[in-house]
Amino acid sequence: MRAHKLTTLFIFLLTAGLLFASNDYSKWKSLGKPITIKKVTKISTILANPDTWVGKTVLVKGRVVDVCKKRGCWMEIASDKDFQTIKVKVKDGEIVFPLKARGKMAVVQGVVEKLNISREQWIKHLAKEAKEEGKTFNPDSVKAGIIIYRLKGIGAKIDM
Amino acid sequence: MARIKWRKWNNILHRDIGYLAVGLTIIYAISGIAVNHVDQWNPNYSIVRESFRIRPVTATDKQQIVDQILTDLKIPTQPESTFRPTADRIQLFYTNLKIEVNLQTGSGFKEETKEKPLLYEFNYLHLNHAKKLWTYFADLYAVALLFLAISGIFVLKGRKGFAGRGKWLVGLGIVIPIAFLIAYL
Repeated sequence: MRAHKLTTLFIFLLTAGLLFASNDYSKWKSLGKPITIKKVTKISTILANPDTWVGKTVLVKGRVVDVCKKRGCWMEIASDKDFQTIKVKVKDGEIVFPLKARGKMAVVQGVVEKLNISREQWIKHLAKEAKEEGKTFNPDSVKAGIIIYRLKGIGAKIDM
Repeated sequence: MARIKWRKWNNILHRDIGYLAVGLTIIYAISGIAVNHVDQWNPNYSIVRESFRIRPVTATDKQQIVDQILTDLKIPTQPESTFRPTADRIQLFYTNLKIEVNLQTGSGFKEETKEKPLLYEFNYLHLNHAKKLWTYFADLYAVALLFLAISGIFVLKGRKGFAGRGKWLVGLGIVIPIAFLIAYL
């Protein structure tokens, strides 16, 4: 009888814990427009077949691993898959991602977009990045342009 | 019919709204100079990066990797989170501190970021990072500035007023930005 009561109590506590732990972003810092999508799409799912997601509005979740230091106009979110990230970009001033968001968990609602970057544009971008980080850069190392998939951010919540 | 003493009221309002605007004008002016030079410096954060070299990290388990790095760097506390951007790199995150290590070579850097005191807060207001109600308050301040600009023209009469030297100085203040627009646009 006692074992039965303890088991019931355990199941109740576990269920209550799961209910309260799941998807509770209410106390996280809000940025931009409110998040309206409930279901999280894995970043790895988007990046596995990105062309099918272009133009779609999604909600992703992951750890913030980098933030634009100057204007807070982008942040990079770690994927559920190793060594993979996706960049969330907004217009300057529309949302300002704080630098202290680095290392924190975030949910972001945004539209998947595809950018075709020419070789010249990519060289310019890499040269600027290298200069900001005090590294050398050899433009000849860039053989071709690239295609980038990223999120155009609409709203975000960060656990900070 | 009594004559409306418009200049009297113009000057009273110019004075009192002027007083109200002092604080925010100082904030906006300082922030304006700071963000004007965003290409030369970071107006919000001071970022200090320090390179280092430790032993190559041979562990494969994530916690062991972190522990070896922390031991070599003599850091007593565990990071709040970690991330592997590539197979041979790891990033450790603390509040206001990011550590990145190349596991194969042991080279890495510590990047400490600090909000620039006062400037960060000034920019926060000036650039409307707060949004919400602050947006409307900032709009109100802009309207106040517009009022101050226009009412200022009529504060003085005579040779020191708008009819005298004032019109030339106002004209110059308009011509100069137009000249820049013609030159750069």
